[in-house]
Amino acid sequence: MIGELFRATLETLYMVSLSTFFSLVLGFGLAVVLIMTAPGGLRPNPGLYRALDATVNLLRSFPFMILMIALIPVTSFIVGMAIGSTAAIVPLTVAATPFMARLVEGSFLEVDPDVVEAARSFGASDSQIIFRVLLTEALPSIVLNTAVLAIALLGYSAMAGAIGGGGLGAFAYNYGYLRFRTEMMFYAVVLLIVIVQAIQTGGNILYRRLR
Amino acid sequence: MIRVRDLEKCYAPARPVLKGLRFAIEAGEVFGIVGRSGAGKSTLLRCFNGLETYQGGSVEVMGRQVKDLDSAGLKALRQDMGMIFQHFSLMSRKNVYENVAFPLHIWHTPKDRAHGRVMELLELVGLTEKKEERIQNLSGGQKQRVGIARALALNPKVLLCDEATSALDPDTTVTILDLLLDINRRLGITIVVVTHQMEVVRRICGRVLLLDGGRNVALGGVEDLFLAPPLGLEKFVEQEFTFVPGGTNIRLMFPRSISQQAVITTMARDLGVGFSIVGGRLDRYRDDVLGFLIINVADQDLDAVLGYMREKHLHWKVLP
Repeated sequence: MIGELFRATLETLYMVSLSTFFSLVLGFGLAVVLIMTAPGGLRPNPGLYRALDATVNLLRSFPFMILMIALIPVTSFIVGMAIGSTAAIVPLTVAATPFMARLVEGSFLEVDPDVVEAARSFGASDSQIIFRVLLTEALPSIVLNTAVLAIALLGYSAMAGAIGGGGLGAFAYNYGYLRFRTEMMFYAVVLLIVIVQAIQTGGNILYRRLR
Repeated sequence: MIRVRDLEKCYAPARPVLKGLRFAIEAGEVFGIVGRSGAGKSTLLRCFNGLETYQGGSVEVMGRQVKDLDSAGLKALRQDMGMIFQHFSLMSRKNVYENVAFPLHIWHTPKDRAHGRVMELLELVGLTEKKEERIQNLSGGQKQRVGIARALALNPKVLLCDEATSALDPDTTVTILDLLLDINRRLGITIVVVTHQMEVVRRICGRVLLLDGGRNVALGGVEDLFLAPPLGLEKFVEQEFTFVPGGTNIRLMFPRSISQQAVITTMARDLGVGFSIVGGRLDRYRDDVLGFLIINVADQDLDAVLGYMREKHLHWKVLP
């Protein structure tokens, strides 16, 4: 039983860390496009901006459960199967990417526009402004937002367990709820609490070091 | 250095910002652009290095038409033009050294050359001791020194200053202005300052352009503008003073040739009349003292005083 709990914990960490990584990368890219094409951005493009903006809102308005089921064909196509921890990473990433894009966009918007103007005044190119000004200045805030995202994904991953993703959520449901092993549910919840605390504390420490 | 012809700029067709500007800034001078907030000063400054676009006319900087430059051309132009800002616009996560080095890194200057240049610049602005300091721990004046060092990093030929001292206290303003004047004289860098502070104009500018509502109201040497202020500049030149009721108020201006002489007392002695001084101001202007006094003359003495001033070639104006 303890071995089972251990495996569930590993599954949860696997799902959360990989989906956080992928949604961070994709969300960052999306945020860069949003910030560049926004009115007053480096390359304003109202059409593209509005389309992306609407898409992000659309994806964010899906309940995760529905999104997960709707994505089953896509998931099968990408990972070759629709159930299991690896398969769960696809809907988790799709759900988290627009969320992360908004968070990173917010971090970018907090950067003083005068600093961007100063960089332009001594000849920085658009990519230098993105990676060496915006990213540098927004990094502490992006780190904190990544912790927020990872914790949200931890919650989603418990739901992903419901369609065979495994992990602590599924463990608590299967043993604690279906088999009336309340102490198993208790252990699973304690482990989830520990993971949330660890993510947030890690984020805070990194934030303070970077700032 | 910078030649502006019939410059027109508007944010929307109904909202013109700059109207028919035409002037030239010569190499090596300190040129002021003065006006109230919203007069279009900062916008004009940003047309010089292409941070703002314009709709009509031409801006020619060092022989290049700013409007016709592609992105590589603009980049090259900006390498030749440093800029400093009202709120310093430094990167908060980099220390003093890294902020000054940033333009050099952007331009891929080799590490050892960049290091030498940064140390040289920190020396110039007097911040060698503070090179490891974080920006948030600096005073306003120190932050602007970092801004100046950063703006000079690429050896520009022109330094654009956008309200560079507006956020500083009067004493710090003076030290920053002296540093700018020193840079202009020692390094021969052309400086364009945008300001609404008369203090700045008096202390460092050779010539000024006065803008109001995006139009050229006056253009000329600072001394001339102070001696015979055009309508718009009068408000700047004359600070508050109290009028004595009755009699006539005359403003006497002191150019460099006569400012040191005791004009007032000599006139009183020669004419044998008395008058009261109701206002005035004497200020340091670059290396001279320049200013004006407003005297109140009783009606029966007016003709004698005016005759005397005409005869002595003084600069004066009867105030309404």
